[in-house]
Amino acid sequence: MRRLLAVSIAALSLSACQTVQNQAGAPTTYQDPATLGAVKGVGIESQDIVSMTDQMMRDMLTEPRLANAATAPNVIVDSEYFINESASRINRNSITDRLRVSLQRASQGRMNFVARHNANMVAAERELKRKGVTDQGKNALAAAQRGGDYRLGGRITSLDARDPKTGMMSRYTQIIFEMTDLETADIVWSGIYEFSKAAADDIIYR
Amino acid sequence: MRKIIMAASGLTALGLLAGCAQQMEPAPICNMAGINAQRQLVALPAAAPGEPSPLMEMPLNSVSITDFNVINKLYVRSVTAQRTPTGTVKVISQIINCTDYPLNVEGRTQFFDQAQAPSEPVSGWKRLNLAPRTSNTYAESSIGTKNVQYYMVEVRETR
Repeated sequence: MRRLLAVSIAALSLSACQTVQNQAGAPTTYQDPATLGAVKGVGIESQDIVSMTDQMMRDMLTEPRLANAATAPNVIVDSEYFINESASRINRNSITDRLRVSLQRASQGRMNFVARHNANMVAAERELKRKGVTDQGKNALAAAQRGGDYRLGGRITSLDARDPKTGMMSRYTQIIFEMTDLETADIVWSGIYEFSKAAADDIIYR
Repeated sequence: MRKIIMAASGLTALGLLAGCAQQMEPAPICNMAGINAQRQLVALPAAAPGEPSPLMEMPLNSVSITDFNVINKLYVRSVTAQRTPTGTVKVISQIINCTDYPLNVEGRTQFFDQAQAPSEPVSGWKRLNLAPRTSNTYAESSIGTKNVQYYMVEVRETR
């Protein structure tokens, strides 16, 4: 009985110590995506995506076959042939989407962009129109979806190294971009973005 | 007389040795006074004709080292611009690391139109690795063509 009483008193006094920490958590902060953020590792990060897509976009606009053709070429920019063979976990669309959007906004008619990633969406709507399920819309009907003259391809590769004594890790990442002629397979433009980062502790990219 | 000859030959030998000791320091020529001159602000275009503008700004068509950490470590040897075959403007600048240590810097360019207003979004930061006492070339191309008339490059240390 005595022991039970002692245990009860001890439990009561312990629970009395557990008070609610009634404070706000660490606030979410906006960061500049073009600059190294608070969480940084050896993989591909936002500043790399912003920097590389901006560089590639500007460089493509200096290629006469793309940006100074007599007739604006039909260009396909998506991640279908943009391969990630690196150790970095990354959504390839975050690179190709940004490149396509910035390139289209910058080109101002110098290139024509074909949404091959939306081909199924377009095909479904065309079928509905032609079956009479919907009306024809305001635009004139086209014989077919537009074919591409050039398509973006590329590859992400990496080389890792770790010092077992210090735990220091380094990763060299190489990202290549190629614009290929869809009739002749000529590569009409190519660009490369590379970097090497080292860190004591790698972070988890999700 | 013999002593004098000995002393003279000794002095000559010393002189020759001193001549050998005069080694050229393997350093780049960093004219920091030139950098200081580049930092001089210039007057904005006047609002009224014939009147001087009271407002000052950083000079266009130049490289501004905007980071205090590297302001006295880098030397901008040259900055030029040229039209590409598609009509865009390409800015090329040679930057020298005047220190004995490797430096990682990054640059970006803002292009301006005839009215000195930004003609397009500022470019992304482009990294530049500079080994000790070496130079590297920063280059950036504009998006626009005929409307691009001026530019300004910012350089800072990569963090």
